[in-house]
Amino acid sequence: MNWLGSLRKQETTHARFICVLGLTILALVVTIILPPVADSQLASGAAITIVILGLSWLIGWSGQISLGNSGFMAVGAYAAGIWAHHHATTPLVFTLLLATVAGAFSGLVVGIPSTRLRGPYLAGMTLAFAAAITPLAQNFTSMTGGEGGLFFNTLTTPKWFLHQFGGINAAINANAQWSADLAVVIAGVMFFFMANLFHSRSGRAMRLVRDNDVAAELMGINLPRTRTLAFVVAAAFAGLGGALFTLLNATVTPETFPLTLSITLLTLMVLGGIGTLSGAVIGGIIYSFSPNLVSYVNSLTGVNPSSNLGANMQGIIFGSLLILTMLFAPRGIAGVGLKIKHSLQSRRKLESVENVN
Amino acid sequence: MHNIFGGLAQGVIYSLVALSLVIIWQSTHVLNFAQGAMAMLATYIGMTQIDRGIGYWWCLVISVVVGMVFGGVTERVLIRPLYGKPEINPIVVMVGFLGVIEAVATAIWTSTTRNIAAPFSQVFFQSHGNLVYLSPFIIFQVILAVVIMLLVAALFRFTKLGLQLRASALAPEVARLLGVRVNRMLTIGWILSAGVGAIAAVILASGSFGLFPTDMDGVFVAGFIAAAVGGLESPIGAIAGGLLIGLAEQFILAYWSPNVAPLGGIIILVVALMIRPQGIFTRTVGRRV
Amino acid sequence: MIRVDNLSVSYGAVKALRNVSLQASPGLITAVLGANGAGKTTLLRAISGLVTPQSGNILLGEKSLLRMPTENICRLGLAHVPEGRGVIAELTVEDNLRLGALASKVNLAEGLETQYAQFPALADRRKKYCATLSGGERQMLAMARALIAQPKVLLLDEPSLGLAPLVTSELMKLILQLCESENLTVILVEQNAKSALRIAHNAVVLHLGAVVASGDAKTVADDEDLRRYYLGLVE
Repeated sequence: MNWLGSLRKQETTHARFICVLGLTILALVVTIILPPVADSQLASGAAITIVILGLSWLIGWSGQISLGNSGFMAVGAYAAGIWAHHHATTPLVFTLLLATVAGAFSGLVVGIPSTRLRGPYLAGMTLAFAAAITPLAQNFTSMTGGEGGLFFNTLTTPKWFLHQFGGINAAINANAQWSADLAVVIAGVMFFFMANLFHSRSGRAMRLVRDNDVAAELMGINLPRTRTLAFVVAAAFAGLGGALFTLLNATVTPETFPLTLSITLLTLMVLGGIGTLSGAVIGGIIYSFSPNLVSYVNSLTGVNPSSNLGANMQGIIFGSLLILTMLFAPRGIAGVGLKIKHSLQSRRKLESVENVN
Repeated sequence: MHNIFGGLAQGVIYSLVALSLVIIWQSTHVLNFAQGAMAMLATYIGMTQIDRGIGYWWCLVISVVVGMVFGGVTERVLIRPLYGKPEINPIVVMVGFLGVIEAVATAIWTSTTRNIAAPFSQVFFQSHGNLVYLSPFIIFQVILAVVIMLLVAALFRFTKLGLQLRASALAPEVARLLGVRVNRMLTIGWILSAGVGAIAAVILASGSFGLFPTDMDGVFVAGFIAAAVGGLESPIGAIAGGLLIGLAEQFILAYWSPNVAPLGGIIILVVALMIRPQGIFTRTVGRRV
Repeated sequence: MIRVDNLSVSYGAVKALRNVSLQASPGLITAVLGANGAGKTTLLRAISGLVTPQSGNILLGEKSLLRMPTENICRLGLAHVPEGRGVIAELTVEDNLRLGALASKVNLAEGLETQYAQFPALADRRKKYCATLSGGERQMLAMARALIAQPKVLLLDEPSLGLAPLVTSELMKLILQLCESENLTVILVEQNAKSALRIAHNAVVLHLGAVVASGDAKTVADDEDLRRYYLGLVE
């Protein structure tokens, strides 16, 4: 019983590992059940989940608002893309690692000056970073391929996997499922890392710095270092997620990471639940099926998808979702779930007390 | 150098955005991250009226009025419910609003650039046969910005309204006890700020590059940095900051590399932070004793 | 005249005031005493409209102040000097005074002159930012700012807080003098029961949100039990 108890509360790394493993296997099963189109969407969603995990860490746990994570994604994506463009045969793990390190480095560069900024100033600086990415990518054409972008092909499905599929669309189906499974596994690994971070001493230090920096300093916590570290971690996650995102699409252009992506990330994180693990997953799932969501809203409101309005519906929907969530349910879906859970628990406790009487 | 005037012209636009942020900060202690987008939308509405045959000055007036209404309504509907909540809430809500506005604008008018014919010539002067990159329109811009800055500074320093606005932002409860209608002041702050912001977008649209829906993103960022560096409490600082960033961009373009130009604002911000390591305006909100 | 009838105020689950009643008349100082957390500040905040009571009534003359916005209550001639004085540090002395005169029909120039005459120290510092003022000077400014509007009712929340004994006694004398000369209705909240009771005409003692004693100031001051248990005036 003790073992199960610690499993539920995820007190030990061991218990956490088993939980995450279980969830990942569940997700893999889902990829088998879903059709290939949904699999591709899920794959992108998994990449986004990784980014949101980092963003939640930064905004939720270290209390530093950042509008610039689309920029960190771009850094990782371009690092991976440029490398893959020139060295198509590098193993995937290496390319992703490169992207993570590149992301981490950009997080360091942005994080160091950011320690001196708070609230709106920090938001403004990270906004500046995110807004500069597209023009920068357009300018440095020799490196980034300018407007046209870069093309590469690294996500090759291994033969043993291909063999599992038959029929006319074997290759396409296999590729789609392979990307999805790969993305899900990587997301699972990163989820495990972040879960450990949340429960680690770093996590507690981070929260203390967020809530009461005077107390934190008195306890010997180095404030600027802790804050910069939060950026580094968030940017590393974003870089990895960004790279995975672009590798799935086999291309990266300056338009892949506009400012609106940062807004979308923020929306997904807030919708899912700031600072929660489940929130990041919820956000990723919502992203996966946002095309479906958008077409649903289109059909509800009678908007023609190929009109100007139709093309911009995603921006309108996500922006509105962010506003509505912040106004009416700032803790997101995970937060609402927690509230329900708590009210059920307290009701149960009340009932047990009454039963005793 | 010939590009000083180009830098000044661009800097004026940044200054006006910075000024709008000074107004809203002095009146409400909230920063409107959707300011650029709102100004853009107001200007588009003004621009479409030109198709109906009205002149430039009416376009300017309409844009400013639409901007003001927009600002007031936004404050009542989106910002009012957030008073008393954590300070990042209005930031996030306005960022979401930014996304919605830009998407709506692109939906209605597409992302092609639109232009307004300026009332003053944009042809550069000549001096001894050489081009001086100064035109009547640029002179107009600078004068306009200076005039607005003086008006704003006078408003906050000398008028009853300005005093009430400042009190509402600095100490809302105390202001209430003294009879200030704080809620009304907050709305007025948003209205004035949006009006000035709209002017910035109109000037941008009148320039040679025109206006497109996401154009004000970069402008907002530069204006924001100008306000942060120049002083959120100081209209003069905001103008100076805006002009400085405009000039710095030209400098980078001419002497470093045009590729790095988008980073101009960030570079200035980082340099400012290095000069003032204690951070830009980490002053605590007033202590009431 | 101010009348509070059976007022109850709660902050969420916490009952800050329970069925509190009191009466304050023009030309008289009514002291509201009690330990920290007794509800004294909440009482003043309810009167000036900063908090909404759950039940009860507050009357200024014949008019009920319930549900009236604070800004309007001020315009009826009620001035509240809040806990901590509420001097706006980022503004100058003169700006604070200008702010005080805004909502009234008083002529600004005359009002300023009167207050500067009453408080010469403020006149000397009129263009200085308030962050540079001492505690005593801030208290003077807070009073001047309240008085410039020529109010009929004056609510004072712990004016002696942080002030040296000599300054406190001067301040109390001033309050008494103004009360009598302007025929003000003064409600004086104080933790420093001794100095408050010296100038008060009536006193109300609060404990955990409820009235435990009220009446003539001298009677309250002389009561042994009150002194020991509620006023911190143990011999």
